[in-house]
Amino acid sequence: MSALNRRDFMKTSVGAAAAFAALPQNRSLGANETIRIGVMGLGGRGTYLAERFAERSDTEIAYLCDPNTRRFARAREAVEEAQDRSPKMVQDFRRILDDKNVDVLINATPDHWHGMGTILACQAGKDVFVEKPLSHNIWEGRKMVEAARKYKRVVQVGMQSRSAAYVHKAKDYIQSGKLGDIHLVRIYNMMKHPKQGDTPDGPVPKGFDYDLWCGPAAKLPYNPSRRWLNQWEYSCGPIAGDAVHQFDMARFLTDDIPYPNAVSQTGAINALRDGRDTPDTQMAILEYDGLTMMMESTLWTPYIKKIPASIRDSDQFPNWPFCSTRVEVLGTEGFMYFGRHGGGWQAYNAGGELVHSEYGRQGDKEHRDNFIDCIRTRKRPNADVEIGHQSVLPYHVANISYRVGNKRLEFDAATESFKNCDQANKHIKREYRQGWSIPENV
Amino acid sequence: MLRSMLACLSLVVVLSHCCRAAWLPIQNVKVRQDPTELGGPKIVIEYDLPDPSISEATPAHVFLRFSKDFGDHWQRVPTDRLRGNGFGLVEKPGHKEMTLWGSEQAGIADLGQVEIRVRALAMARIPAGDFAMKSLPGAGRDESESDKPASNLPLYYMARYETTVAMYTDYLNEVGGEGAGWNRRMSKPDRCGIVQHSDQTYSVVPGRENHPVTYVSWYDAMDFLNWCGLRLPTEAEWEKALRGGFYLDGDQTKKLPNPLPERPFPWGNDAPDADGVFRCNFDGEDDGFARSAPVGRFAEFASPYGICDLAGNVAEWTLDWYSTSYHVGLDGFRVARGGSWMAVPVACDAVTGATQLPLKETSIIGFRGVMAPQR
Repeated sequence: MSALNRRDFMKTSVGAAAAFAALPQNRSLGANETIRIGVMGLGGRGTYLAERFAERSDTEIAYLCDPNTRRFARAREAVEEAQDRSPKMVQDFRRILDDKNVDVLINATPDHWHGMGTILACQAGKDVFVEKPLSHNIWEGRKMVEAARKYKRVVQVGMQSRSAAYVHKAKDYIQSGKLGDIHLVRIYNMMKHPKQGDTPDGPVPKGFDYDLWCGPAAKLPYNPSRRWLNQWEYSCGPIAGDAVHQFDMARFLTDDIPYPNAVSQTGAINALRDGRDTPDTQMAILEYDGLTMMMESTLWTPYIKKIPASIRDSDQFPNWPFCSTRVEVLGTEGFMYFGRHGGGWQAYNAGGELVHSEYGRQGDKEHRDNFIDCIRTRKRPNADVEIGHQSVLPYHVANISYRVGNKRLEFDAATESFKNCDQANKHIKREYRQGWSIPENV
Repeated sequence: MLRSMLACLSLVVVLSHCCRAAWLPIQNVKVRQDPTELGGPKIVIEYDLPDPSISEATPAHVFLRFSKDFGDHWQRVPTDRLRGNGFGLVEKPGHKEMTLWGSEQAGIADLGQVEIRVRALAMARIPAGDFAMKSLPGAGRDESESDKPASNLPLYYMARYETTVAMYTDYLNEVGGEGAGWNRRMSKPDRCGIVQHSDQTYSVVPGRENHPVTYVSWYDAMDFLNWCGLRLPTEAEWEKALRGGFYLDGDQTKKLPNPLPERPFPWGNDAPDADGVFRCNFDGEDDGFARSAPVGRFAEFASPYGICDLAGNVAEWTLDWYSTSYHVGLDGFRVARGGSWMAVPVACDAVTGATQLPLKETSIIGFRGVMAPQR
């Protein structure tokens, strides 16, 4: 296809009905037909996913895409080694969407591209595997759900723990009543992040389409030290971006209550005072009917570790008090430690005795299998887009609370907005850069 | 068979290959044992290093390895037992002589059972001094170092060529008996070309000798370099080697200013494919190579110090850490620099780095060694 300019992009994104009629239809997939995939975003996660799907016999990586051409080689080499066939290399993901022979878009971009990339892919008749956190903001997440439903697309979110067997056993255990009634769940995400450098703004490196990279978000002056994770323009923060895995597990274990009634939050930049927007310390309390969830997160605690690979893939448990990605489930009759990444779970009775242990394995492969199965069966995947929306939403609420002065926010599930703070409602949707927009009616 | 072949030799001379990019040629190696009055027997090793290009600026790194069990196990001769002009950095061609003291204590006094191998790599001298560090070490995420890029480095030496398939095969035949350092992908004839045989020996697919070795993990690279007495370069060392210091003769003398101290490419500012001239091996076949090229093939576009292929061909492992915010302390990512035969031309510059897990073995990453004399 010829390269689209931004004006063309507007034409495809604004006015969904007209745009949809003009967009290429998804080809009809036979039961044994190879599923052809384009990968948008060639950072670590995008490259990892490209390699994993390239290794499958039932899928092919047809495109690799990143605005930064310096990222091409690493991903291309990994894919060529895995599937022995060369993918097309493109900077603009719209070339993937224009190819009628592509069935799937893997969206492993920074947060600010999750929404627009996914919605346009749905409009173009592609199924989508989008990385977590699902959305940059609350409104965009809702539009992603609407697009998936309207165009009948399979949209799987990269919250792979949903597909791990040990997680389901934990839920069964809780639902059996052995912990009694669950009234408190504590979710931890304790990490160690580096400070950003303080180098001055500089020229955009050759081979990097920075304008396209910014896309719908504000185009800040290019700075090689800036980490997009730390800027509200591009991210909902490194805490939300990672802790959403654990919170998604907490929701799963407590039967996926869709929305909190209210969120109290305190957050600050205590340690990483490097010019970032997003907090490095965040505690939030989510109020549900008869249930409280507490999220505790830091970016400066190196002694609290993520579960190492040696435990993820073996019959071992993490050292729970120093496990950075644990969930604690507190019932009236028992307590459960639960670990992400295949960390397993252990249950204690009212006397504090260990009464059940279940080792875990990561669910990455099962999550990809589930996605491919759903593409063929047209069933909803394990981490469907709406689940992704509801699992990241409380973090959006906590972030908004932070941005309006750590105010307790009462949430209206029907309108996905706040009952008690007009200032907070201004953060439900972001400003879109001129030339880039997501329409109200996707 | 190998053992019986070697048993009759008291010395194995490592001969040069046809291209200068492999070991440097070493000739007329002689070894003898002399008694001493009080210090026990000593071994005298002589050889000729004929390459006329060897100089103070482009010395040879000579290292010796020996086996005292007919070639089953090898170890590097410790330099603190050596005296003479033929080991370590050798800055003049010609006849060399070394004395190995304490040979009896090292168990290598009986020349009837001992094999000694002498090998030499082409190096380039990078004088101490300031340079323009344009990239951020560890892509700005290196927690082991200051955020501020290094701008001054002491004297060090860097291999003029990427480590070749032939050199690595030579190494495997000493240490790879159990398969250590080799993986099946290395046998791919179009991307590496090292074949493992049933007797645990290794050979090179003909024609691949002087291509850069690939499918080497960061650990493989470290092991090879430890084998020959070198180490991986830091990112700063790698970058200074590419564009040169502000003075190419170093800050002590400052007689030779670098005309382009901020150059993005080893040869200067021109893009790798500017004006239809192909200055390195990047993505595509227009430069003459669909995949890797023999090392040194673009020698006229070498760095100011005469170091070849820093741009393109294969990216090169460095010593530096990279940590992403999601993986700090867990995965220990490392940085490879320099672009590759699969990279777009702009990615073959002085600042582009790719992060990889150190266990990763790919067809686009190789390595070269450096040596920093102790001050």
